[in-house]
Formats: sequence, structure tokens, C-alpha cells
Amino acid sequence: MAGFDIYVPTSLADALSYMEEFGEGTTVLARGTDLVPRLKRRQVTASNLLDLSGLELDLRYVRVDGGSLRIGALTTVSDLLESPSIGKELEVIRDAGSKFGDPQIRNVATVGGNVCSASSSEDLIPVLLALDAKLKLSSSKKERVVPLKEFILGKRTTFRKSGEILTEVEVPQLPSNSGSAYDKLGRRNTLIIALVNMAVVLTLEPDLETVLKASVSLNRVSGRIPQRATLVEGYLAGRRLTSDAVAAAQGILANELSLGSDFRASGEYRADVAKVFLGRLLGRCVSRIRGS
Amino acid sequence: MSKHFITMTVNGRERSLHVDSTDSLLDVLRNRLDIKSVKDGCGTGDCGLCAVILNGRLVNSCIVLAAQCRGAQVTTLEGLLEDPQMKSLQGRFLKYNAAQCGFCTPAMLVAAKDILSRTVRPTEDDIKAGISGVLCRCTGYYPIIQAIQEASEGRSR
Repeated sequence: MAGFDIYVPTSLADALSYMEEFGEGTTVLARGTDLVPRLKRRQVTASNLLDLSGLELDLRYVRVDGGSLRIGALTTVSDLLESPSIGKELEVIRDAGSKFGDPQIRNVATVGGNVCSASSSEDLIPVLLALDAKLKLSSSKKERVVPLKEFILGKRTTFRKSGEILTEVEVPQLPSNSGSAYDKLGRRNTLIIALVNMAVVLTLEPDLETVLKASVSLNRVSGRIPQRATLVEGYLAGRRLTSDAVAAAQGILANELSLGSDFRASGEYRADVAKVFLGRLLGRCVSRIRGS
Repeated sequence: MSKHFITMTVNGRERSLHVDSTDSLLDVLRNRLDIKSVKDGCGTGDCGLCAVILNGRLVNSCIVLAAQCRGAQVTTLEGLLEDPQMKSLQGRFLKYNAAQCGFCTPAMLVAAKDILSRTVRPTEDDIKAGISGVLCRCTGYYPIIQAIQEASEGRSR
């Protein structure tokens, strides 16, 4: 590993004032499951790290507050899996958490780190996109809240300004009759970069047949950032979820998003998997909503 | 490169030392504290052979920066040798030939201990999930799974 300095702040205010002064040349370090291997492999260089790991009292929490689920940036994936604050309509978070990395990675990797790494291998991003998550970015002068979908500009590129630290992820509460699900395909089950992953969040009308709102997001879209399938969502809204409607949605999905090809899998294969996932996850959402 | 003065408790003993900002917890355990059960496999968090218990959680010590371990509680296999559950696991590992080349064995035992401390009666799937982050290239895993299963049932040898 090439040499770097680490600044260890004594408080969140100290971290923010450090970022105000030195943010330009500073890489923010949460718990390092992404950054440290990249530094070791020399895929990235850093001269200055700001170590947030001592700020867990301020930034490690999962709570329901003001109609939203609020997740502190230093919350680990294991924390999400164990949190009683995540209701059954948000099962998608537990689906993704249980397939995330491996046990050792889940115990360390943070929600904030996963979002800010902004790579298409980051399994939580499609989930949070489908949930219309918002991010709280703090600087020494102010706080701003931005939708996640505006935050990720490209592979490993985000909208975060140099003086800012991501402090909280906010997931708006879902209406009643909502359910959600996630799936991921890799060449093995553990510690694998997804060939395709997909999150679906579904809200049904009180008849439990008709779609009020569907959110679908997946990774590996060309351009290599996770995206929402808005045409599919538009098609499903207001429609009864018959097998014909699902088949049509699968057809729209294949046309709407071109999935990237790389050494792991071809785009055609990914599109086939995505169609299967869409059908399966819609079905799983419906069963979860109906409690069957 | 900045130096950091850290104090952590390793296997019940308080240790204070200066570490470089680029030192991993693994570097410190093996090279400074002479704790050799913790293996340096891939060095990038993929193989799990450096697994230790950090603040009650199984982690890969090769990708934890030592500078982040201020005040940490670290347990390696050396710190578990008197633990009855660990003795039981070791006995079952011998019985089932769950160690062949032995390189993954310390991490596998620590991961097994982590499973047993979280789940009283782990199913085969619980065990598979629990050791899924530790690679073994010899055994095919089944001897390890059987050993952990039997140790969890507390059956006599």
C-alpha cells in the first residue's frame, strides 16, 4: 500500500471542519471494506484519509422517525439484518443484506460506505433506489438532502461536494399494502459481485390485485450504474397483476434497459436473468403483501 | 505517513503500541504481537484466513486498518484455547479430519466459535452461511460442517 495519513476526528463537528479545510485532497474512510482492498491493490491512491469509524455514537443507528426509516451512515449491514426497526414491508433490505458480501464483510461494511462507493457491485444501491431513498449530506455550514437517484452520477462518481460527509440515509415509509423483495445472481452465493441484482417494491390497491405503484431497479445497466426501470414501473401502475401483465412487463424491461456486457457475463444473458427476476420478485412481493 | 498510538485488548491482555497509518490489524497481530494463528492469505478480504473477533464480530483483519482499532477488543484462536466450546470444536475437527493442510483451520475454528456463540442449535444452512467467508481448498467443507454440527449438539466423542 502506498503511504497515506489518517486524520482521526474527535467529533462529527471536528470531522466536518476538517473536511471544510482539507476536503479537496481527502478520502473519507468509513470501515474500509471497499477502500482498503482498493488501496492495497493500488487501484486507487489516497494521501489523506478521514477516519469516521470513531463517530459511531453519532452515525450508527437505525430508527423510525418522522414517517421515515433513518439509517446512520456508519450502520453496518449486520446492523440492518438485526434491526427491529425495519418492518416487514421493507423485507427487501434484509434480502439484500443477507446476500451481501460474506459474514465478515457484513459485520464491517457500512451503508454510507456502500452508497458513496457508487459502484455497480454495491448491492444496497438498487435497493435504496427502489425505495426512493434520500441522502443527508452534511458540511460544516449546512445540511442538504438529495434523492439517491441524483447522487450517483456514474461509476464511482457522486454528487458529493468535497467538504461534505454523508451522514444519513432516509427511506420514506411505504403506504399500507406494500411489499418488497430483492434477488442477486452471481457465480457463487457468497462474496460475489452480482451479474445481475434487482430490487422490486410494490404497493397494491386495497383489492390486493391492482398495482398502485411499482418500483423496479437493477444494477449493471449500461453506463454501469444502478437504475430504475421507469417504463416498466409506468406500465405496471394501475394494472391488475395478471400473468399476461407480468409477461408484458418483462418484455418492456428487456427493451428499456440495455444491460452491460463484460468478462463476467454478456448483456443478453443479464437481460434474460433480469426478466426472470422481475417475474419472481413481483410474485414474492405479492405473497409478502398478502401474507401468504 | 502518520503514526498512531493505539491501545487495544488482545486476547484479554491490554496492548499499547505505535502503528503506521498503512498497518492492517493483521500486520500488527502477526508481526508486532507474534500471534501467528492469524494467516495472511489474500490480503484483500477475500479468503477469510485472517478472521478474528473484533468487538464481538467476526471480521477479516487484513482489511481493518490498525489505526481504526483504538480501544478495540480483539480475540484470536490463541485467546480461545481454554474455552470449552473451542476444545469441543477442536476435538471434532480431529475426529472428522476437518483439517488437512491446516492453513484455514484457525480461521475456520474462530468462525465456528462465532456461529456457536450466536446460534444454540445451528442448522446445516446456518453453519454453511457462517463459514462461507472462510475458504478451504482441501476438505470440500463437509468434514468441517459435520465437526461444527456435532460440537453444537454437545454429543460425547
